Amino acid sequence: MSYLRLEIVRMLRDPKYLALAVGAPIGFYLLFATLFGGSPAQPGQLKGTVEIMVAMAAYGAIWAVLSTTAPRIAEERQIGWLEQVRAMPIPPRRVLAAKVIASAATALPAIILVCLTAATVKGVQLSAGQWTALVAAMWAGSAVFAALGIAIGYTIGADAAYPVSYGLYMAMSAIGGLWVPPAILPEAMRNVAQALPTYRLADLGWKIAAGQAPTGASVLVLLAWAVGLSLVAYLAILRPRVRVRTRHPAAA
Amino acid sequence: MTYTNQSQVTTPPHTRAPHTKPSAGAIALDSVSKSYGPVHAVRDLSLEISPGETVALLGPNGAGKSTTIGMLLGLVAADAGKVTVCGRQPRLAVAHGRIAAMLQDAGLMPGVRVREIVGLAASLYPAPMPVGQALSLAGLSDVAKRRVDRLSGGQAQRVRFAMAAVANPEILVLDEPTRALDVAGRTEFWQAMQAYSASGRTLVFATHYLDEVSGNASRVVVLMHGQVVADGVPEEVSKLAGASTIRFTADARPPQLGTLPGVSGVSWRHNRASLRTAEPDTTLRALMALDLGWRDIEITPPSLNDSFLMLTQEGS
Repeated sequence: MSYLRLEIVRMLRDPKYLALAVGAPIGFYLLFATLFGGSPAQPGQLKGTVEIMVAMAAYGAIWAVLSTTAPRIAEERQIGWLEQVRAMPIPPRRVLAAKVIASAATALPAIILVCLTAATVKGVQLSAGQWTALVAAMWAGSAVFAALGIAIGYTIGADAAYPVSYGLYMAMSAIGGLWVPPAILPEAMRNVAQALPTYRLADLGWKIAAGQAPTGASVLVLLAWAVGLSLVAYLAILRPRVRVRTRHPAAA
Repeated sequence: MTYTNQSQVTTPPHTRAPHTKPSAGAIALDSVSKSYGPVHAVRDLSLEISPGETVALLGPNGAGKSTTIGMLLGLVAADAGKVTVCGRQPRLAVAHGRIAAMLQDAGLMPGVRVREIVGLAASLYPAPMPVGQALSLAGLSDVAKRRVDRLSGGQAQRVRFAMAAVANPEILVLDEPTRALDVAGRTEFWQAMQAYSASGRTLVFATHYLDEVSGNASRVVVLMHGQVVADGVPEEVSKLAGASTIRFTADARPPQLGTLPGVSGVSWRHNRASLRTAEPDTTLRALMALDLGWRDIEITPPSLNDSFLMLTQEGS
């Protein structure tokens, strides 16, 4: 469908997407993996190069999904593109579906390229099954942030949507243990982290990389966020739009 | 108050194609009303438009133009009455590509090229025209590869036109298509539009620029407070104001000018007189008999501008 194709094309064309969702995680990975990539901090833990790989894959995927939904939806609402779409024979839900699919599609390169960098530059070795499960699980988990992006995009104006998304992304990444190993976070922060979808998304990958199955807790927390945010997004879409269209100067 | 409360001052529309059954009409609005809270945007409006007509919807802001257009596309649901487009419900007419519109506040998908966005529109309609044809019709062939967010206002507006025209619709609807365009942009736009309407399609456009009506519409429908206050060919609607103006220069100001047959008003500016008259021929004959030594005579026919001002001001 050409709407979907065009959505993907314009996302890939956006230099900010390439820089922040793909370039930055790879750069940070190389930096952190070089600085802290030594032996595991404690026995039984992942090697730094692997742990940071998963964290940075999550970091890139989250921004890929969030940045291709929230600010874009807010902008399209503001400039009236969604109004134009309403006048054309395409149902609004298909327009939204195309955006979500395209957005999810942009997360995949962000995940794969970090993994590829880790494997080639830092010699990270996982079994083929682990690689597949890791990429698939993290990709699927990043869909939670599409729901967040839609909720933001339909509630916040175009000017604020980008900074709000970026601020939330940064805060949730930092507290969610994507920047520093969650093990060295203070107890209180660790409790908060465990409730965040950022931490839980990375945790899927950490468990798989360690040769375990993802914990039910992580899957449940992610699902709960997905359901909750989808509900918010749904309500935001349905919210009656206040349009200042019918000016009536001589109404009386 | 007088005009809207009277039985509407409706002149018969110009020669319409005779239609055998109601569904032969391109557009039929049958006693349609729409309110937004306490505001009656459209009240009991009935309007029929035949295939091939070029109709200007004229009216001040808030007259109900955009609401009417929204109803033609099924974007606005009427509270009462019935809207039929090409013999079917508006949303079906949109889905079948029979009607396509250029909306007033519509934006363009950011970050894509002109050809891509027009191609997108083409892909959504069942029987589109070739994208290249729509681009050349809209005068966009030279900027087909440019990003839509790097276009001038006039170019962006023609992209919106191309997105509607590419549907190859029987009815093309334009809501204030030249708003926010400069003079050059407006001229370019109407050139593109004339090429399109020459193909015999139905064109409905809302505007509040009067000069766009006379050159581009075969019929003008004046809306005021959600009702039709005048409907006819531009020349007929122009005559509603009823007055021509005779101007001439004279050195003296003879008092009997106001009593000449047909004259409804006299005004002077320096030594130039303006006579408003409903019967310019009779007035002119009488004026010649007066032998005032006038010179530089000029007769202006009734203007759409006058009619519009009269209809809309007396209506408010």
